[in-house]
Amino acid sequence: MMASVSLRYLFCLAILLVFCVISAQVDTQISLAQQWQLLIHFAERGNLANDFDAIMFVEAQMPRIVMALMVGAVLGLVGSLMQQLTQNPLVSPMTLGTASGAWLALVAMNVWFPAWVGDYAPLAATTGAMLTLGLVILIAGINNLSGLPVVLAGMAVNILLGAVATAIILLNDQYAKNLFIWGAGDLAQNGWQQVQWLWPKLMIAILIFVFAPRILALLRMGQAGAAARGLNIIPAILGLFTLGIWLVSVSITTVGVISFIGLLAPNIARQLGARTPKDELLLSMLLGAIVLVATDALAMLMSTLTFDVVPSGTAAALIGAPALIWFTRRKLSAQDQLSFSMPKSAYQMRASGVVWMAVGVAVLAVVSLLFGQATIDAHTVWQWQLPSAFDWQIQWPRLTTSIAAGAGLAVAGVLLQRLIYNPLASPDILGISAGATCALVAGSVFIGLNIFDAAPFIAFAGSMAVLGLLLLLGRRHQFAPSMLILTGIALTALIEALVQFALARGDETSYTILSWLAGSTYRVSNVASLWLLFGVAGLMAFALLTSRWLTLISTGRDFAKARGLNVPRAFLLLLCCVALLCAFVTATMGPVAFVGLLAPHMAVMLGAKKAQQQLPVAALMGAGLMILSDWIGQNVVYPSQIAAGTVVSVVGGMYFILLLIKGQRASR
Amino acid sequence: MLVRCQQALLLMSLVAITLLTNISRAQDVIVVQDSQGQHTFEHVPSRVAALNWDIAEQVLALGVTPIAMPDIGEYRQWVMKPEVPDSVMDIGSRVEPNLQRLASLKPDVIIIASPQLDLMPRLQQIAPVLFFQTYSEQHNNAQAAIDNFKHIATLLGRRQQAEQRLAQMDQRLADLKTQLMQAYAGQLPTVTTFRFASMTSVYQYGDNSTAQYALQRLGIAPAIKQGPTQWGVKQQRLKNLRHIGEGVALYFEPFAQEEQLAGSVMWNAMPFVRDGKMSSVASAWNYGGAVSIEYMAEALTQSLLAIAPRKTSATEVTP
Repeated sequence: MMASVSLRYLFCLAILLVFCVISAQVDTQISLAQQWQLLIHFAERGNLANDFDAIMFVEAQMPRIVMALMVGAVLGLVGSLMQQLTQNPLVSPMTLGTASGAWLALVAMNVWFPAWVGDYAPLAATTGAMLTLGLVILIAGINNLSGLPVVLAGMAVNILLGAVATAIILLNDQYAKNLFIWGAGDLAQNGWQQVQWLWPKLMIAILIFVFAPRILALLRMGQAGAAARGLNIIPAILGLFTLGIWLVSVSITTVGVISFIGLLAPNIARQLGARTPKDELLLSMLLGAIVLVATDALAMLMSTLTFDVVPSGTAAALIGAPALIWFTRRKLSAQDQLSFSMPKSAYQMRASGVVWMAVGVAVLAVVSLLFGQATIDAHTVWQWQLPSAFDWQIQWPRLTTSIAAGAGLAVAGVLLQRLIYNPLASPDILGISAGATCALVAGSVFIGLNIFDAAPFIAFAGSMAVLGLLLLLGRRHQFAPSMLILTGIALTALIEALVQFALARGDETSYTILSWLAGSTYRVSNVASLWLLFGVAGLMAFALLTSRWLTLISTGRDFAKARGLNVPRAFLLLLCCVALLCAFVTATMGPVAFVGLLAPHMAVMLGAKKAQQQLPVAALMGAGLMILSDWIGQNVVYPSQIAAGTVVSVVGGMYFILLLIKGQRASR
Repeated sequence: MLVRCQQALLLMSLVAITLLTNISRAQDVIVVQDSQGQHTFEHVPSRVAALNWDIAEQVLALGVTPIAMPDIGEYRQWVMKPEVPDSVMDIGSRVEPNLQRLASLKPDVIIIASPQLDLMPRLQQIAPVLFFQTYSEQHNNAQAAIDNFKHIATLLGRRQQAEQRLAQMDQRLADLKTQLMQAYAGQLPTVTTFRFASMTSVYQYGDNSTAQYALQRLGIAPAIKQGPTQWGVKQQRLKNLRHIGEGVALYFEPFAQEEQLAGSVMWNAMPFVRDGKMSSVASAWNYGGAVSIEYMAEALTQSLLAIAPRKTSATEVTP
């Protein structure tokens, strides 16, 4: 046994070495023999007076490989640490909001304190990441770090901070230009400064190897068991978390956002048979280094072949997304929840409640039309006024879109949460919106389409392609919920990496792409808004008519089958309904987050617990949320505007965080 | 009989007057060519709304103050010249101009560029819309900018000022070229310009960029050939800059990490750094209209003079 373990490490080390050597051969004029000479005479590198190729090798290629080794190892190690701490194979440093915290801090600094960027950018990014972790822990509760809540809190904080950053960029776009390459994740080095800056800060990882194995081994017995063995759980977990996030923060501060490695490496390690906590930590660290060195070599190769700078993060995502699906597919199906359990609520809604809500939404819609900021004789004033014919022309498609999009996403949320038995699932996670985004961004960057002209059709085609892929992958696993979530997460992250790549190209096109990504009702034409309205209405009618299916499936698949329901067919039809709703909304106004998650939740809190009742109440809730968000977006920074999609992410994100904090208090 | 004669005369004079006024009106009609075709205006529009920065810049350069333009705060930060008077109303962002505010300002004409093209039908409900595309992979951006400048001048009844302004620009470019020729003793170097994206990558300006066009007008060839793109810019790895070879490297301000750059072995190994053929360029807007060519040429000349071999002559650009 011992022999096979050490053989495994030897084998991994050999592979790592091979990849390092391969990576050194990409895009260089220096021969292998010369490389060896340069390596053994590394101390005298100052004497390479005039040999430019040799200097490039020593000052760019070598630090790049070392950086890939260090960052890959850290991401693998911390990924494994967090997955073991939370006992959840879908946790990684990135899913806990670290990257978005650092991103927001960098954006804010570039916009408001550009003079400090040179000296304090690393400090800002690290602080942002650590504060975000603090927030996530606060939301999830210190006692609660080992379960699903911490992942959900991370996701909410991710979307919230991401939306704030997007809004800041859109209102100050020129300042943020240089940040996009950081967002795309770039390992390229200019000299050894960054390596020298980073390695002492990573030495703290030794503490993980000293303390973590025992704590993790105890945690495997469950928190109660660990406590019984005399482990002071909270400080232990908190300390390890902080260590891990520190390591990741300083790493991503230097090289930018590189996703997937932290998620992927521990999963491969377990596949390869890592048994003990220490074993898994070590092997994940090695594997992380291997994967990042290999994908970075690929990124360099792609850059030389395509005459376009391909960031390392993009390559990591291209390799990581399919690899993640491959390595986790069997593991996950065992953990599926098999029926839907409702969030708790003390209320019970009466039938007339729906009518009252409809009246409320109608009043909100009318008020949003009448009240707001306006320009009269070149002065800005708040006023109540009937819209003029021109105002009405502009406002009615926006209002129609808000209502239809909010209602549509809410219904999609209700369906999806019940289909995959997770009350905190959001339709975004299926990757449908991401597919639309990807198709549009690719069309705009590679074919030169005007993103606003091309939007509805190409976006819809992109969504449908993702749906096709989901169905194809899902069928193999009998549409196991966790498989759908995993595919969605992988696709979304992959597509985000591609979008960052497009933004990092650095011309004025990125500005229009970003403003589409914000999810705005501004450009929706009369015809498009009506299409959306009818599309959503049709699909909602379908959902209401088949609400019995939904009730049966949410009770449990076996139960539904026993009651004579053709479960696979019903599931497939309802899933397509969700996908179509998302596709319609995204094609019309761009990606909109959170509504699909929040509206169903709020409906339940108001006492609409049966599927038949939850559907209309959630739809009204969603419509109300969107109307409110669009009104805020149009008035708060007048004469500029913030997209409704961005506002709803901020408002929704804050509500969701409050919800989680409250839930955590209640469970205490 | 006499009465009849008088009536006939009166009639004839009436006809004559109507004819005359018609002719004079016909002279007043303005025919403007934009990127989509010809448009006619009855008289010179006085309330102009410019919905993109390059448009606003050209309107201002013609001595006309627009009533509205987007993102004025950022324009002052990044485009800078010509200056925007305080009377101009901000209408929000370039991609989402505030239509209600725009309508309330009652413009006579709205001038747009590509980011607003799809808004055309809505804008036409407010006022006639002209569309001038400056940046496209399909044409020469600088030539398009100069043509658009003339078209906008025609619309604003300032054709003469435009010709004068362009002639002044030609003269200015010729002066700058002479100064450079003196400083470099008739041997102008090849030059490549770029902006830093990070310590390891740059946005390099090539064919179809204002910077390259300005250099060409100064009699300077590019040090690295880079084919045309829509914006004339392409992301490149820092190490590719070695291909500048004997040429000069100029990078645009601002770059936050200049201090780190100075300490970089790789940067200092670049041929142009070793030979002192490298300088920064004062911040200049790279995506502007016709007059931005002149501002760009001035900024570039100043940097080139600063590193010219003949230090005896003044390193400042003489006005």
